[in-house]
Amino acid sequence: MDESTKASFTFDATQNLYLCEGHWSILNINALTEHFNQSPLPVDKSLTISGADLHYFDSAGALLLFQCLEKLKQNNNQVELIEFNDHQQALFSLVVDKQPALKYKAPSATYHPMIYQLGKEAVHKFNQIDGLIILIGNLSDKLFTACGQWRRFQCPSIVANIHNAGITALPIIGLLSFLIGVVLAYQMGLQLENYGANIFIAYLSGMAIFREFAPLITAIIVAGRTSSAFTAQIGSMKINEEIDALYTMGLSPIELIVLPKVLGLFIIFPLLIFWADLFSIFGAMLMSKFMLHVGYSDFLSRLQDSVGLKQMMLGLYKAPVFAILIALVGCFQGFQVGGSADSVGSQTTKSVVQALFLIIIADATFSIVYSWLDL
Amino acid sequence: MSKPIIEITGLKNYLGHQWVHTDVNLTIYPGEILAIIGGSGSGKTTILRSILMLQKPTAGKITVFGQDIETISDKAADAIRRRLGMLFQHSALFSAMTVLENIMFPMQEFTTLSKPFMHKLALLKLSLVGLPKDAAHKHPSELSGGMQRRAAAARAIAMDPELLFLDEPTTGLDPISARRFDELVIFLRDTLNLTVVMVSHDIESVKRCSDRVAFIGDGKILSLEPIHDLMKNPHPLIADYFS
Repeated sequence: MDESTKASFTFDATQNLYLCEGHWSILNINALTEHFNQSPLPVDKSLTISGADLHYFDSAGALLLFQCLEKLKQNNNQVELIEFNDHQQALFSLVVDKQPALKYKAPSATYHPMIYQLGKEAVHKFNQIDGLIILIGNLSDKLFTACGQWRRFQCPSIVANIHNAGITALPIIGLLSFLIGVVLAYQMGLQLENYGANIFIAYLSGMAIFREFAPLITAIIVAGRTSSAFTAQIGSMKINEEIDALYTMGLSPIELIVLPKVLGLFIIFPLLIFWADLFSIFGAMLMSKFMLHVGYSDFLSRLQDSVGLKQMMLGLYKAPVFAILIALVGCFQGFQVGGSADSVGSQTTKSVVQALFLIIIADATFSIVYSWLDL
Repeated sequence: MSKPIIEITGLKNYLGHQWVHTDVNLTIYPGEILAIIGGSGSGKTTILRSILMLQKPTAGKITVFGQDIETISDKAADAIRRRLGMLFQHSALFSAMTVLENIMFPMQEFTTLSKPFMHKLALLKLSLVGLPKDAAHKHPSELSGGMQRRAAAARAIAMDPELLFLDEPTTGLDPISARRFDELVIFLRDTLNLTVVMVSHDIESVKRCSDRVAFIGDGKILSLEPIHDLMKNPHPLIADYFS
């Protein structure tokens, strides 16, 4: 810091004079405050404070001067300000005027007992479930009324959603499924090799992929990509008052925003699972060839004989449920956004977590139902 | 006249496939309140954004505090930014913080002042802009638009800037608040020796507090004179604006 931007507040004991010098600006006054607090203060004197050498004085400086003055007065000193120019005087008297406002303390956060917080959280959760049910009701209502008029289905919007949620996800779903297929075949192959039961790789990996892995991997990727996107989009629209704008036009955001998203995902999701099926099987097939020396045609014919279309369909039946869950949770959390940019972030997190949670619950339910039905 | 605080020469801006500015020349002197007015979309805010280094001009030279902002180092640019305050059109308060935290935020980043002192200083700014005390611990989303604007003004002056930019400060305020805001601007200029550059649509406010008014149209500064002279300017665009 160069000499010109230094601030000082020096005491001349012989004349009972405080000298304000230099730049009393917000960036400079910190050292000065410490110095003043550490130095001994005069008691029972008649003091003068001179601003003759004050080059720059801002509101932080004025506040500091006021605080110093208060401290000096506490020690029974008489204090007088001299040689301050008009600007500095005005600024200082402003600080004096505003004193009552500066004594404000924000009310501290009230403490609530644990039982209260538990209750609050429970009510919140019930409200969420309530909201979700209302959304589902609203959505079914719109769906049925829309069935009468094809134009209300917002076809361009559905197509756009299919593109965003489906087509653009193809590369990542393909790659990850392929890798899962490779890993699965490798892990199973290690055991099968020991028993010389190499050809069973087709049955084992086919069952696992068709029934569980492909639907689940697809659902997880789509939940991560799409449900967060839905939440962020609807949340931003809400902050921007676009949702309110729709309501005031007498239009339903559910019909215009949620319905196309749900339908779009509903249409594309089975196809995505099928895409994942293809790549996983391809991965498993490659691994079988290199590790277990099971030829491509052997693998495929074995797959057809022992696994067949039925198992693949059992995996695809999960698609509509997953699609609706992901789209609904994404949209619902979007509507829960309120006020701040922070809220968009937290609701987006919630939307992904809840979507994944519900997907796994649904998947487990499918397993139970399938086992009841002996499928 | 003293040395100019901002000097813009030959500023050109090409945005969104059209020329917003073709040749803007503007000199701003310390201690004045300069208003920039003009029709919607005439590039008023873009001038501010260019000066604030938020947007790189297509061509032209801008000097702030005597330094060419095109060629200075990042460090020097930061030093200049610390001497500026900006009130954005939509307040741009940080929504995750309370009003008081918003005002204290630049202080915390740039100074090592003690917390109680910062707290008091922030409350001082808050009362300066005429916000009630209990607004201090509220979040921006709990405030009305006018109160948000004033809270944003308090944040803009938190660091006692030498140069204050206001983007439509009184738009959306009721007439009484708008007048108070103008008085505040004049008061700040007088006490803190600020230089204020404001973009405004509010002719009353411009009349009350501006020293000079720059009228922008056709991508140029068409006229730079006090408001009363400007209102008699025969240029068709200007005459149309005031009619």
